[in-house]
Amino acid sequence: MRSLTIFLYEWKHFTGSPFKIVAVLLFIIASLYGLHNGADLYEKQNAEIERINNEAKTKIETTISYFENNQKGPENRPWIDVTSTFWALWHTPTYHLKKPSPAIVYNIGQTEQYGFYKVIGTSSSPYDADMTKEIANPERIQSGTLDFSFVILFLLPLLLLVLLYNIKGQEAEHGFLPLVFVQTGAKNWWIVSRTAFYAILLLLVLFGLMLYGAMLTNVFDSANIFGNIFLWITLYLFFWIVIYFLILKYGKNTVSNTLQMIGIWLLFAFIIPATVQQWITIEKPTNLMVDLIDVSRDTKSEINAQSIDQIDAQLFELYPNLKDTKVAKENIRVSGIRGLSSDALINVEMKNATQNIEEENKLKNKLISKTYWFNPITYFQNKLNQLTNTHYNDYETYRNTIQKSVDKRNKILVFDVWNTIEVDKEKYLEYNATLSNNE
Amino acid sequence: MFQIIKNEWQFLVRSRIFLGISIAFIAIMLLSIFLGNYQTQKQEQTHQNAKNHVRQQWVSIDEMNPHSAAHYGTFIFKPTNLLSNLDEGVNSVTGNVLRVEGHVQNEIVHSEASQMQAVSRFGKLKPSLLLQYIVPLLLVFLAFNTVSNEKQSGRLKLLVLQGAKPLQIILSKTLAVWLYGVLLLIFILFVYGILNVQSLTTDILARTGLFFISYCLYYFIISGLTVFFSSRWQNATLALTSMLGIWIIWTIFLPNILMSSVEKWHKLPSRNEFQTAMKEDRSKGLDGHNPTDKRSLALKEKVLKEYGVDSVSQLPINFDGMRMQADEDYGNSVWDKHFGNNRSVLKKQKQSFQLGGIVNPFISLQNTSMGFMASDNLHHQEFLLQVENYRRVFIKMLNDKQIYGGSKTGDWGWKIDNAFFKSVPDFDYKPTEISAVISNYILDVVLLFLWTILVVALIVLGTKKLKMV
Repeated sequence: MRSLTIFLYEWKHFTGSPFKIVAVLLFIIASLYGLHNGADLYEKQNAEIERINNEAKTKIETTISYFENNQKGPENRPWIDVTSTFWALWHTPTYHLKKPSPAIVYNIGQTEQYGFYKVIGTSSSPYDADMTKEIANPERIQSGTLDFSFVILFLLPLLLLVLLYNIKGQEAEHGFLPLVFVQTGAKNWWIVSRTAFYAILLLLVLFGLMLYGAMLTNVFDSANIFGNIFLWITLYLFFWIVIYFLILKYGKNTVSNTLQMIGIWLLFAFIIPATVQQWITIEKPTNLMVDLIDVSRDTKSEINAQSIDQIDAQLFELYPNLKDTKVAKENIRVSGIRGLSSDALINVEMKNATQNIEEENKLKNKLISKTYWFNPITYFQNKLNQLTNTHYNDYETYRNTIQKSVDKRNKILVFDVWNTIEVDKEKYLEYNATLSNNE
Repeated sequence: MFQIIKNEWQFLVRSRIFLGISIAFIAIMLLSIFLGNYQTQKQEQTHQNAKNHVRQQWVSIDEMNPHSAAHYGTFIFKPTNLLSNLDEGVNSVTGNVLRVEGHVQNEIVHSEASQMQAVSRFGKLKPSLLLQYIVPLLLVFLAFNTVSNEKQSGRLKLLVLQGAKPLQIILSKTLAVWLYGVLLLIFILFVYGILNVQSLTTDILARTGLFFISYCLYYFIISGLTVFFSSRWQNATLALTSMLGIWIIWTIFLPNILMSSVEKWHKLPSRNEFQTAMKEDRSKGLDGHNPTDKRSLALKEKVLKEYGVDSVSQLPINFDGMRMQADEDYGNSVWDKHFGNNRSVLKKQKQSFQLGGIVNPFISLQNTSMGFMASDNLHHQEFLLQVENYRRVFIKMLNDKQIYGGSKTGDWGWKIDNAFFKSVPDFDYKPTEISAVISNYILDVVLLFLWTILVVALIVLGTKKLKMV
């Protein structure tokens, strides 16, 4: 009953404060804007994926027409012969796609740092130029997109500050704090109830906003996403409420409370993450991918310059079953066959080089994770990134599956070349089925 | 007026909280400069090692066919910038490695941001982070009760009775607070200058001077506006919350919303659209690797006629190289069209964003800060252009060698020796001089001046209605 009275008084106080109402409205507008930014990105990426799939379909149809019309390839490129494994695979368009999660509406995360579609060839690598981010204004990427998570992580604590800053301080300044304590019975209970009022108000607002967001990208199609994200946002809200509550409890006046609240926010939002990022880049400077460059040029040349016996030995080590192929059994010593197989050997070297890069990046991530206990905003940011499949790890998984697709393509090329397979329409369709666009 | 400023400072210096905050803040600023400098040194070392490594590979080529060398190519690494110690701008989100090779203008790849999980949404601990976000807040904290306190204590009335004019009082209080921001700014630039004294050039000094002016103007806007609110509102808390509201809207809210919006108003193509359009245009031109291509045949006829011979084997030059260069020339026109289009869209986005300075001086400050510290997108685009110009010279040298170096058409086995590869110059990045790009920031500086005038006008007009108690 006592709490209800405090709640009712707080409601009156809230509705009588245009400053607080405007702050809540601005927060809602920013959230809606952020949700639409996320939904726009979701639609944009899906539209691009559809466009790519259609492009691939057209390419496949064109190649099928070569088989149906007994053509070797396009007329103006007489060297192309789609009945050979190499050219048939060359004309098998394979894109590896990272379909956006509907939850991207809530959090864009690191989406804009990476590409989400990749054309796969036998010499592809997860670190190719087409794996970089979409074409975008770097100044916009640097300032970050205003998505829902930005509103939650940075503006929610400020909104909470605006709603709570004068609790207790105002009463103290007007000299009726002792009266309030007498009337309400307990100092802590009074502050807790007033803070709880705003916590409930914000939870309702956040739930409503998240429901609106869910309608934009069908979040409910994926199990538990909505619930999990709401849970983490609630935890984040409580994290700030606890901090602000302690400041209010021990604070003396409104101005000092406000300064302390904004100070803590600045520390967690700016100073700590910025210092951590600076420290990480000192500990592990940006990798300029020299190892990868070496493999793509020197190692590649060295492999290609090897003798047939040297190439064969390495290929047999990589694919032991290759000894059962026609070329191996009949000891056909055609350098062209080895030339077509060398991508598989270069791929192994590329994998070794990329593994080192991934290991180095993992070390950086480990260092960042170690700071979580005093760097809460980064922790919550990465938690949301994980929930919305926009975390660094999700893109690492994406790169790994790209690598597997490249491995598969190389294996098919080597085995079919060594078995001197002649490709017809059925075989070509089989290639397409095996290497179909992965989503 | 000087006496009032002096009194204000004496009052500030006596405050333990003020001293404590100032010492803590100066310590963070020093940390930011030292860490920034150390990071630049380490990155510079990594960059130099990579550059030397790639150059060593190039000059170590024993012998190679020029066109094979064009495919072998080289790599350019985006150099670190001494000025980016103060404001890193877009450097952490743009790529760092650019492949230079024949037939294609590549895009820069491997950004720092893509090599780790998310950390800071506002960048690293650079002086610009503190100067843009934290110092204005400190000024607000110093100024929000500067007049209201005087009113409440009755000192304002006393000052006026003693002969001070209200305008003088308000302006002096504004200047006293502003001076604090300026001193912090001078301190940061002084330490930065001491640490980098050997590398300072006229251009760096000019840029730093402009950087200083922009921040001084912004700090005056913040100080003046806060003192204005302090004089207008009866309640100091109201002045503080009003300014905090303005700070949040200016620094967190509007720049993000406006930047996202301008990207929607002036759209860039998607990577796939961009590549497809370039491929489409490229396919309309000459194909250097296809001798049976119609345009190649036309070029061949033209060259045969020029030399007065019947077949390419009779030519004193290598026609393959000529075809490759013709392919390059056509390709260059395609890259110019499409990359040029992207650049012009980015320029429009920037111009629209700059107009945001009309309602938000923080946008003008951000633009000038990044721009004067040579770390905005404009400077990034200048770097990319320099690399592309180098690529064209580099590939032309190789094609010319193929044409006039003594080989015959079809002789793909012909190789040139190491001396030639050593003679190919390395990429030499020429930092963009401020005089060449200053026109791009005039609007931002003008808007900062206009905001300053507006704040002065507000103070002058507001003082007329000033209540003494």
